[in-house]
Amino acid sequence: MDKDKQPSVGQALLAAAMLLPGLAHAEAAPERGAISVKYLYYKEDQPGLDRVQVHAPSVSVMAPIAGEWSVSASATMDDVSGASPRYHTAVSGASRMDDLRKAGDVSVTRYLPHGTVSVGAAFSTEHDYRSRALSLQATFDSDDKNTTWALGLGGSDDAINPVNHIVQNEGRQTVSVLAGVTRIFTPVDIGQLTYTHSEGHGYYSDPYKLVDNRPRKRDQDTVLAQWNHRFVAADATSRLSYRYYRDSFGVSAHTLSGEWVQSLANGWTLTPNLRLYSQRAADFYFDPVYDSKTGAPFPPGYVFGGSAFTSADQRLSAFGAITAGLKVAKQIDRDWSVDLKLEHYEQRGAWRVFGAGSPGLAPMRANSLQIGFTRLW
Amino acid sequence: MKARIVIALCAAMAGLSGCALAPVQAWEKGQLARTDMLMQGDPLGTRFNEHIYTSKEAASGGSAVGGGGCGCN
Repeated sequence: MDKDKQPSVGQALLAAAMLLPGLAHAEAAPERGAISVKYLYYKEDQPGLDRVQVHAPSVSVMAPIAGEWSVSASATMDDVSGASPRYHTAVSGASRMDDLRKAGDVSVTRYLPHGTVSVGAAFSTEHDYRSRALSLQATFDSDDKNTTWALGLGGSDDAINPVNHIVQNEGRQTVSVLAGVTRIFTPVDIGQLTYTHSEGHGYYSDPYKLVDNRPRKRDQDTVLAQWNHRFVAADATSRLSYRYYRDSFGVSAHTLSGEWVQSLANGWTLTPNLRLYSQRAADFYFDPVYDSKTGAPFPPGYVFGGSAFTSADQRLSAFGAITAGLKVAKQIDRDWSVDLKLEHYEQRGAWRVFGAGSPGLAPMRANSLQIGFTRLW
Repeated sequence: MKARIVIALCAAMAGLSGCALAPVQAWEKGQLARTDMLMQGDPLGTRFNEHIYTSKEAASGGSAVGGGGCGCN
């Protein structure tokens, strides 16, 4: 700006608005860095069987660099232990596991006058599974910065070596694309629509489940619509989203979720959330009705050594699920905040919407807790 | 089926980006700058939830590409 020229009030306001942190729908480079540490605990059960529990400490760091770049990285360790049914929800003969998964990712973002470019890499390792992934994403802003388009490309390469040696040196490769648009509608409404398509090939069967033989190719499509609305008078924000999912296994799913972020006095925030989920079964999932001669876990007419696709995995059955949770957060001062979140999750065949759920399975329930803090600098 | 989805989405995205409301001016974006108005929520919490849902449900993904897989199916 010319030094001897006074800026108009409009220009001054515009300049002030541009300086607001996180005016990032048309994304500006962050001015402050942040570090977050979280501890997560998850435990699930079904009637008569304590299933998996997870302890997962994690940390994430975001640092702005030179006003035009940012680097983000995170690391987590999942300690997963417990029991998992080998077919359907059979309690007897459930497999026992104890595994430590280490995962990390890093991404670098360059902020340009009309958009951003990000590259990212992710890595995770378990004793029987190793995954590597790369991604590239670009955003483009309209001149008034009310519309932002996004394009993304990602790929992953996984190596699978189950401890029971049912297969060895298996792998899975995936390529994904993303297209999205974010739109500011009013000073208190912002919406986003995102489409992703992913094509993968390789080993998709679960090596620890019985009679599990899945196709070696899986295409997935998702459409995600999100809407945030600010209630200024109530000092609250509603965050709604809907996701449609379909894949080449024959699964389709609807996910509706919402949360209400209510600001209270003295830096407290209360956020209740609700999520409703429903899925159609995979084409090759079979109900717990077994062959009259060989019995469980074999489906009627099962041919040993055959190539027919079969799975008795509860996760590929038709069911509905509900999550209800509450998060309490406290902004201690300008730099520090702490939060605690509790969630309950329950999955039942009878809760499927748009059709009948899979019969004969035990309901699955889970509780989780997240506790964490964030420090800005 | 896939072609229809793509066409419908393109139309929806074009509609969304060309929406004929009065454009919001830069100085009206104070509320939008709040962290609770950002599309992406708490990164670690979101990632943990997505990881759990990916391992308990058949559907996954939707908001990003390039995440790593896991042996949890």
